[in-house]
Amino acid sequence: MKRTMLTATALILGAVPAFAATKADVLETYADIAHAGYEDSLITALTLEDAIEALIATPSEETLAAARAAWIAAREPYQQTEVFRFGNPIVDDWEGKVNAWPLDEGLIDYVDASYGGATDENPFAALNVIANPAPTIAGEEVDATTIDATFIADRLNEADGIETNVARGYHAIEFLLWGQDLNDTGPGAGERPYTDFVQGADCSHGNCDRRVDYLRAVTDLLISDLEEMVAAWEDGGAAREDVMDDADEGIVAMLTGMGSLSYGEQAGERMRLGLMLNDPEEEHDCFSDNTHRSHYNDGLGVQNVYLGRYTRVDGTVIEGPALEDLVAESNPALDEEMKTRLDTTMAAMTDLSDAAEGGFSYDQMLATGNERGETLIMAAVDGLIDQTATIERIVADLGLDAISFEGSDSLDNPNAVFQ
Amino acid sequence: MRLALAFSLIALPAVAGVDEAVNDVILPDLATFTTTAEQLDVAAQANCSPDALKGPYNAAFDAWVAVSDVRLGPLEQGALSIAFWPDKRGFTEKTLTRLISDQDDIIDTPEGFAEVSIAARGMFALERMLYDPDFNAYATGSYACDLVRALTRDLRRQAIAIEAGWRDTFADLLLSPGAPGNATYLDRSEAQRAIYTQILNALEFTADSRLGRPLGEVTRPRPTRAEAWRAGRSLDNVLIATEQAVTLARALADWEIPETEAALARVQEAARDIEDPSFQSIGDDLTKRLKLEILQQEIDGVSNAIEAEVGTRYGITPGFNASDGD
Repeated sequence: MKRTMLTATALILGAVPAFAATKADVLETYADIAHAGYEDSLITALTLEDAIEALIATPSEETLAAARAAWIAAREPYQQTEVFRFGNPIVDDWEGKVNAWPLDEGLIDYVDASYGGATDENPFAALNVIANPAPTIAGEEVDATTIDATFIADRLNEADGIETNVARGYHAIEFLLWGQDLNDTGPGAGERPYTDFVQGADCSHGNCDRRVDYLRAVTDLLISDLEEMVAAWEDGGAAREDVMDDADEGIVAMLTGMGSLSYGEQAGERMRLGLMLNDPEEEHDCFSDNTHRSHYNDGLGVQNVYLGRYTRVDGTVIEGPALEDLVAESNPALDEEMKTRLDTTMAAMTDLSDAAEGGFSYDQMLATGNERGETLIMAAVDGLIDQTATIERIVADLGLDAISFEGSDSLDNPNAVFQ
Repeated sequence: MRLALAFSLIALPAVAGVDEAVNDVILPDLATFTTTAEQLDVAAQANCSPDALKGPYNAAFDAWVAVSDVRLGPLEQGALSIAFWPDKRGFTEKTLTRLISDQDDIIDTPEGFAEVSIAARGMFALERMLYDPDFNAYATGSYACDLVRALTRDLRRQAIAIEAGWRDTFADLLLSPGAPGNATYLDRSEAQRAIYTQILNALEFTADSRLGRPLGEVTRPRPTRAEAWRAGRSLDNVLIATEQAVTLARALADWEIPETEAALARVQEAARDIEDPSFQSIGDDLTKRLKLEILQQEIDGVSNAIEAEVGTRYGITPGFNASDGD
C-alpha cells in the first residue's frame, strides 16, 4: 500500500514539471545553453591560442599537430551554437566574423598554381597579403606593412564588399594551420609544413614573420569576438534580453533557428549543393577535413535546443524546461515525431562522422559517381529536410503561425533595412 | 444554419486553391517546359551553332522560370541541376573549361552526363556556351558542339523526369492531404502552406537576388551578378517570376485579389521604364539604379498584398524555404 502510494506520488511529481513549463522557463534554458556553448567555445579557443603560441615559439611537427588538435577541439562546441544564429539578429550580425565560409584563401597566403587567380566575382582571390605589404584593393593602395587585428578586421575582411574575402575567423585560422588540401577528392587534408612558421633561413614559402603576425592577430580576433558573444548571453546581455523580451517571439526565434539551419543552410547550402557540385572545396572545413564533425555538431545543436539539454566540454550538463515540454503538453504525437526525426538525423550524422573518422573523408564522399558517399550524405540531408517539416508543424500547433517571422525576414533580406 | 454549413462545404472543395494551383497552373506549365526543352534539343541535334539555338533556348528558359520557383517535390532538388545560380565562386566557368580542355568523354552518355557537376549542367551552362565569347566560337563537330548537344539532351531528360514525377506521384500528395499513407501533407492547411511558401519565396528571391545582387550598394553596383545577363534576360526573368507568383496566388485564393492585381500592375509599369534588360548599365547613373530599386520595392508590394489577401484570409504563414540561411 505504501509502495503504491509512493509510486503514485512519484508519477504525479514526475508529471508536474512538464505541465509547469512556461515559455519563459523554456527560453531561460535556451539562453543558458547558448551562454554555455559560447563560453565553451571561448574556453577551447583560449587553449587553441596557447597551442598557437607554442607553435610560434618552437615550430615543429609536434607543436603544429598540437595546434591542429586544439583547433578541432575548439570547433566541437562552436558548431553546436550555430542553431542560435538564425532567428537571433544579434548572433546573425556577428556570426560572419567568426565562421564565414567559403573563403578565397589566396587572399591571405600562398596557394598552389592550380588555384588560379582572380575570378569574375573576386578580383582579390589571389591577393596573398602575407607576401604583399602594399596590395591594391578596389583601386586603392593599402598599407599592409603591419599585419594586426585592426588591419585584418577593418581593411582585409570582406575587402571590396566581397563576401568570399574572409580574412578572419575559424576558417582563416584553419587555412593557416593546414594550408590548402591539394588531394582533390582523394584522401588527406592540407599539408602545410611547420617550417612555414620558422623564422630566419629555414623559413619555407617565404614571409614567415608576416605569417606568424597574421596567425597571432587572427587568433586574438577570434577570442575577442567570442568574448563579445558570451557577454551577449549573460544575465542582462543583449541577446538574452532580446529572446526574453516577448515569450512568443522568443519561441519563434528558437524554431526559426532550428528550421533555417536544418533546411536552407545545412541540408541545402552546405551538404546537398556541395554533393551536386562534386567540388572538394565545397566542404565546410576543407583544409582540415573536419567537415563531418561540423555537420554532426550542427545537427546536435538543433537537438540540444529541442530537448533543452547541452553537455558541456567539461562533461557537466545544462538542462531545464524545454521546447519538448511545451510540445508534449500540446500534442504528444507531434513531440514523438520531432524526437524520432531528430534521432534519425543524428543517426545519419553519426554514420557519416564514423565513416570519415574511419578514413573515408568527406571530400572523398563528394567525388563524382561515389555512391557510398552520396548515400551517407543524402541520408543526413533527408533527415534534416524531414525534421524541418515537423518544425513547421510545431509552429502551427503552438499557435505561433499568427506571429510573423519578422526576424527571419530581415535576416534573409538585408535590403529590407535599406528599403 | 444547417443550410449555411452545407453551402460552405460545397463552396470549399477538399483542398481549396491547391487543386487549381496544381491542375490549372503547375502541371500545364511543367508540360510547356517539357515541350520547349524537347524543341531546344531537337534544334541542337540538328544544328549546334549558337545562332540557331538562341531562339529555342530563350523559349525554354521562359518556360523554366515559370515553374522554377515552385521548389516542391521533384522540383525541390531537381531545380538545382537545371539552374545553378547564383554561382558565387565561378564554378560554371571553371567546370566547363575543365570539361573542354580534358575533352572529357563523360558527356558521351546521358548517364555519364547526369553525374557531371550541376555547375556545368542546365540553363546557365548553356548560357555560357551560347553567349560568352570565351565559349561560343565553337565549330560543328568540335567537343564544345558535342557538349552543347549533351546539355540540351540532359535538359530534356530532366524536364521529362520532373513532369512525370509531379504527374505520377507528387501532385497526388498535395491534392490529398491527410489521406492514408500521405505523410507529407497531413491536412489541408499544410498543402496550402506549401504552395503559399513557394509564392512568397519566389518574390523574395526575385527582389533580393535577381535584383538585389546586381544592385549591390549605391557606391558599388555589381552588374555581372545579374541573373542571365549574358543572354540579356535578367529583366525577363524578374517579370516572369513575379507574374507567375501572382498567377499561383490567384489560383490559391478562391476569391478576387484586387490589391495583388494592382501591385502586379505597378511592377509591370516599373519594368517598362527599364531600358537595359540585362542591368549592365546600372552603374552608369543614379537614375538607372533608382528604376531598379523602384522595381524591387514594387515586388515587395506584391508580396505584402499576397500576405494580406491570401495568407491572412487562410490563416497561414510561410514555412521554411531553401533560401533561408546565408
